[in-house]
Amino acid sequence: MKRVAVTGIGMVSPLGNIATEVLANATAGRSAICRIDEPWCKRLVSPLAACVNFSGDEHFAAPKLRMLDRVSQFAIVAARQAVGDARFDFENADRQRVGVFVGTGMGGSQTSDDGYHTLYAEQSDRIKPFTILMGMTNAPAAWIGIEYELTGPNLTYSTACSSSAVSIGEAWMRLRNGDLDVAIAGGAEAPLSLGALKAWEVLHTLAREDPFDASKSCKPFSKSRSGMVLGEGATIFVLEDWERAIRRRATIHGELIGYGVTTDTSHITRPSVAGQAAAMRAALQAAGCVPASIDTINAHGTGTQANDSVETAAIKEVFGERAYRIPISATKAIHGHLLGASGALEFALCLLAMQHDILLPTMHLELAAEDCDLDYVPNCARHNVKFDTIMSNSFAFGGTNAVLVARSARSAAVRCGQNN
Amino acid sequence: MTTRERLSKILVKNYKIDPTRLTLDGPLEELGIDSLGMAELLFFIEDEFKVQLPFDPVPLPTLGDAVSYIDGLLTAQHIPETPVIAGIAPPAAPHRPV
Repeated sequence: MKRVAVTGIGMVSPLGNIATEVLANATAGRSAICRIDEPWCKRLVSPLAACVNFSGDEHFAAPKLRMLDRVSQFAIVAARQAVGDARFDFENADRQRVGVFVGTGMGGSQTSDDGYHTLYAEQSDRIKPFTILMGMTNAPAAWIGIEYELTGPNLTYSTACSSSAVSIGEAWMRLRNGDLDVAIAGGAEAPLSLGALKAWEVLHTLAREDPFDASKSCKPFSKSRSGMVLGEGATIFVLEDWERAIRRRATIHGELIGYGVTTDTSHITRPSVAGQAAAMRAALQAAGCVPASIDTINAHGTGTQANDSVETAAIKEVFGERAYRIPISATKAIHGHLLGASGALEFALCLLAMQHDILLPTMHLELAAEDCDLDYVPNCARHNVKFDTIMSNSFAFGGTNAVLVARSARSAAVRCGQNN
Repeated sequence: MTTRERLSKILVKNYKIDPTRLTLDGPLEELGIDSLGMAELLFFIEDEFKVQLPFDPVPLPTLGDAVSYIDGLLTAQHIPETPVIAGIAPPAAPHRPV
């Protein structure tokens, strides 16, 4: 089996569009969640979101920009960053052995929303001629493939909130098997339209606005948590055959060593302790790790009643007594829930934090719920904590549980499990 | 304002094209408007000139071709500022977009 290095990270996120800025904001616990100011916001109960500071015309010529939904714009810009970060030159690569793997839950939903508005609200047939191209779920991946003329597999995964953890994991499997040399993998989401926000709202999953500070409305694991806040953005990685990365002296952010995916079948939305625990165990097994190897977990931690209790129970089931000694971070408190792009953003935060010896805080956690009694690193980052193996959890409506395990580049030469 | 000026205004406003690049015989594809982009440009032409184009795509490889086609439509209808139905053939094109 091949080993897989993460050699490039690109991010367009509510916490910033440069990795160092994103890490600094996550470490400081600066929330990107705020009230959104759009004319249609008065139709929302809690007009909250975590928006990206991004202008497409800074990145694309106007004729091309007209063909790109916001989700594809995010994906392409994040991919450019990742390729630049990896200092990867496709001229020297067999492009058929480079794949693109992108997760997105809702694809070009804004384009669909605009089209419906034209068609039904305005009673006009003049929907944008590019509606299909912009709205189709595989557009972000396709545009990345076009950008770099990558002729290997170009695949899109849509498993709701675990989409990008799945895309990264599936890319890892192909690299591990030696089917590919390089993968551009991650996720993108741009769901901040009235249609998407209203649809999530009526599902009763969105947080109520904090009466004192809107930026604190998402409170994972808190007794007063009331739901999640939607965010937008993209995080893309360059994943690469380890030996190849070493040969070209690439900077390695970490080694992706495990991926587990399982499916809950009891209910379309209700998470299951058994399913989440099984995904964590599967990821550990794929990584060749024992539970004691995991130093920290980035929780799915949405801030919904159902998720946080179930995830806490699942972590206890897998890690036993040790669960109480594993620092757990739920960063959605400040970057919101990017749906299909969340897993990738959180995996990037894990790697960056590990590189800088930082345990990221779970913000807005003044009083934990009674059944949420683990160490969530509440409200304040911990510095100078060296750790070498991380787990990143992503769970989803539809039941797809996906878990990634990675270790630091510094420890990558040491077999996982032999450290402990 | 002439047809060329009105069309140029659309291209500058919606496609951010440098006006100095807008020559009559320059291929629109070189300005970033390929056959796919043309599908949207035709919408803008319909709106600006209040004409209705045929359902099938019209090949207009250059700005000059587009100007001639629009002028032909307007002339054929004799009512340039009101909606008209396109009923004339497009100009001969050096190649058909795919």
